[in-house]
Formats: sequence, C-alpha cells, structure tokens
Amino acid sequence: MFCEALVSKDISIRIQGLWKHYGLPVPAVVRKTLNLVRRRKKHEDEDDGGPWALRDINLEILKGETVGIVGRNGAGKSTLLKILAGVTAPTSGTVEIYGRIFPMIELNAGLHMELTGRENVRLLGAVMGLSRREIESKLPEIEDFTELGDWFDRPVRMYSSGMLGRLGFGVAVSVESDVVLIDETFAVGDLKFQNKSLARVKEMRESGATILLVSHSLETLQFVSRKGILMEQGSVIASGSALQAINAYETLVFRSEQKRLEHRVRNRISSEEVNIFSARVYGGDGQSLTEVSSGAPFGIEVDLRLNRRLEKPMFSIGILNAAGILCKWNISEEDGLSGSGDGDRYLLRAWYSENHLSNGAYEVHFAARDAASFETLERIAGIVSFAVIGSQRARGIVRGKCRWDLIPWEASSASAQDSPVPGDSISKDVDDR
Amino acid sequence: MFQGSLWIAFESSFFGILLPGDRKLTAPGFFSRGVYINTSQKGRWASRFFTLLGALVVRDVTSRYRRSSLGMWWAFLQPLILMLLFNMLRGFVNIPSDGIPYLLFSYSALVPWTFFTNSVAACGPSIITNADVIKKIALPREVFPLAAVAATLFDFAMSSILLAAMMVWFKVQIGWVLVWLPVLIVLMAATAFAVGILLAGLGTFRKDFIFATPFLTQAWLFVTPVIYPLSSVPEKWQSLYMLNPMVGVIEGFRNVLLKASAPPWEPMVSAVAVTTVLLAVSWPLFRKLSAYFADVL
Repeated sequence: MFCEALVSKDISIRIQGLWKHYGLPVPAVVRKTLNLVRRRKKHEDEDDGGPWALRDINLEILKGETVGIVGRNGAGKSTLLKILAGVTAPTSGTVEIYGRIFPMIELNAGLHMELTGRENVRLLGAVMGLSRREIESKLPEIEDFTELGDWFDRPVRMYSSGMLGRLGFGVAVSVESDVVLIDETFAVGDLKFQNKSLARVKEMRESGATILLVSHSLETLQFVSRKGILMEQGSVIASGSALQAINAYETLVFRSEQKRLEHRVRNRISSEEVNIFSARVYGGDGQSLTEVSSGAPFGIEVDLRLNRRLEKPMFSIGILNAAGILCKWNISEEDGLSGSGDGDRYLLRAWYSENHLSNGAYEVHFAARDAASFETLERIAGIVSFAVIGSQRARGIVRGKCRWDLIPWEASSASAQDSPVPGDSISKDVDDR
Repeated sequence: MFQGSLWIAFESSFFGILLPGDRKLTAPGFFSRGVYINTSQKGRWASRFFTLLGALVVRDVTSRYRRSSLGMWWAFLQPLILMLLFNMLRGFVNIPSDGIPYLLFSYSALVPWTFFTNSVAACGPSIITNADVIKKIALPREVFPLAAVAATLFDFAMSSILLAAMMVWFKVQIGWVLVWLPVLIVLMAATAFAVGILLAGLGTFRKDFIFATPFLTQAWLFVTPVIYPLSSVPEKWQSLYMLNPMVGVIEGFRNVLLKASAPPWEPMVSAVAVTTVLLAVSWPLFRKLSAYFADVL
C-alpha cells in the first residue's frame, strides 16, 4: 500500500518499448499454411494489418501533466491512445498506468437511437464505468450540463448531431478519473458549448488529473496542454513543451506540403515566344533556398529567353499558399520595371525586401506578357515552391506585429469624450445598458 | 522524459529516414506479447460490471420492441407458432409423447429451446453490433454476449407465462420438484452462453461463423428431444445422444413441470459436464481473442 502510493506520487503513465501491429497475432507458420490452402498471395492476406502502427515508443508522463500529441494522419496518435485505454493489446513492450484511466474517445459510442436522452445517459454512464449510484447522483448535473431541456426525455434519434455530442460529452465530463485521454472531441456543439467543454477540461487539469490530448486544432492544444510530443510513422520524433511540439509539427507539415506542391502537375500556357529554363528562390547572400525564415527578405529568380524583341515585356509573379489562396501578386510594370527586351537570354529577378508571409508552404505562379498587345506569352503555375518557417505562434495569411495597449476604462472614456469619433456615441449607449 | 523539458533534436529523423522500425532486428515477433498494467482496476469492479450488464439488458429489452406494433407479444408468438406447426406435423406422422397432451409436451420443450436458439443467435453478432463501444472503451467484453443471453431470458419469462397458463388449463399436478427450476434455468443459460461466446469470438474475425448459426441451431433441433421424447431414441445411441447438453435441459424441464419428478440424472450429469467443458474452452478462447477485437472491428 505504502509502496504503491510512493510510485503513484510522480509517475502516471510509463511506456517502455511499445510496438503495435494491428490484427490477430497469427503465428507465421499457421498463416503460411492458410495462405497455401487458400492459394492467396502474401499481399492479399486481409489479416495482415499492414506495417507497424507504433514502433518502439518510450514515454514517461508525470502526474498532473497535460500532454498534447500532434502528428499527421496515420502517425499513430489514436493507436497510442487506444493502447493506453486498454482497448487494444500491445504487440510488445510494457504499458503501465497508475490510476483510473478514462478515454473520452468519440463520446457518443454506445448511444442507442431508440432510447431517450435520460435512458442513454444511464447506459453511457454504465459503459463509461460508473456504478448505478454514481449515475443517479450525477443525472441532474448532467441534465444541466447538456442544456437539452425537454429534449432530454425524447428519443435520441430525433436529436441533431450537436445535441448527440453534447449528451456524450455531458456524461464523459462527469466521470472522475486520474488519467483522461481526449481524442478530437472538442468539435461537438456550438461555440458556447465548446468553451464550456474546454473550461471543464481545464478544471480537470487543475484538480490534478493527467491529460493526454489529440486534436488537429492546434489552438486547442496550445490552450490546454503544457507538454507536447510529435509523432510520425508510429514513432515519437520530438518532445518538449507544447509550443515546441506544435512548431516542429508545423515545420513537418510545411515541408511535406512543399513536396506536394513540387510534385504537382504544372499548368502551362505557352506561345513558344518565351522559353523558361529554371526558377529558384534565393536569400540575401544569393544562395538558393527552399525554406525562408519568417520575416527575412528573399528573391525569386527566373532564367528565361525571349525569342523575339518585345517593346514592353511585362512579367507577373503570384505567391499562393498551400490552400491555393493568392497571398501576393506583383506586376513588373507597376513596380517600375521598364525597358525593352531583345531576343536574348535573361535572368529575371524579383526581390521581396519586406516579407510579410506567415509560416506555411507557398508556390509561385509566373507569367510573361507583351504589354503592347496584352498577349500572354508564357504562364506557368507552380514554377517554384518554398516554405516560410518561424517560431511565432501567430497565424493568418499575413505576418506582422501589432501594437497592443491595455488602457484602463477611466482613461479611455475620458479620451473618447475629448475626441468624439463617429460611432462612438452608439458604442457608449450599448455599454451604458 | 519530460522532467527537464528535454528537447530531442528531430532534424535527423525527419522523413522517417532513421525511424527505429527500420532496424528489423529489434522488431518483436508475433510470439512475444506486450504487457498492459493498470493499477486502478481493483475493487468495485463487480458493481460496475453488473451496472453495465443491467444497463445493456435494459437497452436490449426496451429497444427491441419499441417500434413494433405487436411489441411484447412476439415473445409469445415465436414458440406458439412453432408449437402449432409441430402439432400439425403430428397429424401426419405418429410421434409419441409419453402420454402427455402433445400441445403441452411440445410447448414445454419449445420455451427453453426458443430461448437457446434466440440467445445463441443474439450472442454471435453481439460484438459486431457493439463495435462502437468496444473500439473506444476498455470493458470486459464478455458483458455483451452475457447481456444478449440475459435479455433473451426476459422473453423466456414472457413465454413461460403462457406455459403456466397451459399447465393450469390441462390441470397438471405440480410439487416440490419445482425447486429444480432455477438449476435448470442456470444450466440452460450457461449452455447458451458457452455456445454463444464461442460464436461471438470467432464470428468477430470470420463472419462465416455467424452465417452458419441458423443452420447449426436447426440441425441441433433434430438431435434434441423437442418434437419427440427421449424414450424414442434407440438405446445404443442414447449415451452419444446425451452429449448434447440441451437433452438434459429439455428433459429436465419436462420432468419437473409435467411429470412432477426430478430431472433424469444421466442426461443432467452429462449436460453439466459438457457445458463445463464447453465453457472451459470457449471462455478462455474468447478472452484471448477479445484483446484483438478492436483491431478488426
């Protein structure tokens, strides 16, 4: 008893050399014979659960820590949570959990459509490991939390999906446990309910529960968790603070998005009057870059040949982010490039001294036109791609600081009266009510 | 790992170039098993288990007939229709009934038999229909086939009411031997559970077992004294015949209810023994398989 208390004081979860391969562990001999009998080739065997879902995971999580797990789809995040929850067996290695564990993995598992909300709460409570007395004592609290009103006594098949989610979450948050596993559950309900759920999770954290959180919403992860681990192909490849893990994850994602952009089929219109040989992104020292530091100036260089003399050549460069949104588009004529071009080879350089691009992957679209006739001579979508990488948490299409002020109310209302602006009286009316 | 906010440089292993899985030698084989230890599962598990079992039974029973017009009457109808069919069959073929009115003779066997087939049929897919829960939360998986059996017991109780009414109608003498009834019901449920979890465990991995269930129970009906009495089975086949645990159950019900005598000891002993062996095989097998249910659902 004393010994157990000593151990459970600090460590909550200990994972040593954990490997996971999905499917029934059929001995190789048996499988080969079966395949012989069925005359199937090895790769057609449906029992073969594919590659390792988890490879050699070693983790120690202390009591009261909140850990966010980030990683791309198929990185093994959910598998890890399933093994921790005891839903599926580890293939090899040891998993030790000190304390009662509760998985909040997709909360409306086990709902029955023909039963009412109240009957389903009893069922869900039992499924989530509550005893009858605990369920009955918590029913009013759950009824209150879910905000379902009269709907609580109607069959759940009449519910909207948000209401279903609320019902599940309402039961889940009433379960008290030492270790909580959360997998993508904050998407349920409207904004108000989401905030309420988030507040409840923070409450659990304050009460000393260990929380493991998987979410694709990096904002949620930042808000809830203090530590973070990054998983990739079944392994933990980085761990540290939540912010460090999220930054590492973003870098990973931007790089892979950039690779995807590179491999995209080029969309090209050509009149054979301009030949494009190559394009690159370069930094202040003229070296080619694939990653630009956030805020650092960079340039785009296009190696091209004009096949006839152009009185007014006009070039345009657009920069699109991974979502395909045009973030920047410049026309050489407007930026002051003038002069004619002979039928010769040139290096066209566009230098961006102010880099306002936020972190992410980008691709460059390029077009060459004859300004006199406005005829498109050459247009290439995705001529080159690059990533902007930095450590800031700020998000959006445009990067840049803003000046913040926290002004005491007295001072602000005094200054507002000194310099009335249109609309100010309206906002004041609202505040007075 | 987190104690000092240790930051492992991840640059070198970015695109899986140096992932540990590529070191083939360290990958464990299929024979070495992982270990899962949870210190919290002590105490009060029984209360939770029975709460869960109760909730599942309530769910199954209340939801089963909620959208049907005949509702609870289905529990009576199924054995009743079979009884009438058997009675018709008896019109063409001579079937002895040990001097008991044939309606009563067949219905007293059909009530436990319908329970058996229905609970075996409900057990088979019980894991697949509860996949949502099993994939998400760690539970003792036995609870699902067990709940399927228990929910069928409710139908059994319903159809027993009609049996009792028939016994009153035919003025059947009853006595102290009725104390055998709980024993028979437990044996009947245990047999159904033993066969049911075997089908549930195997059927989760291969649906063939679930598809085969109706044929299995139909064939089983012919080697069980439901339509005919045990006495019409040839003497030399009887010991083999009694390996069927349902023989003991059904003959037991007939003896206790209609003949006011204790269950025949030979089929009973054999039924208890076979059911015990069946449970000793199917339950551990189910436990073994259940660790991988979430992987295939």
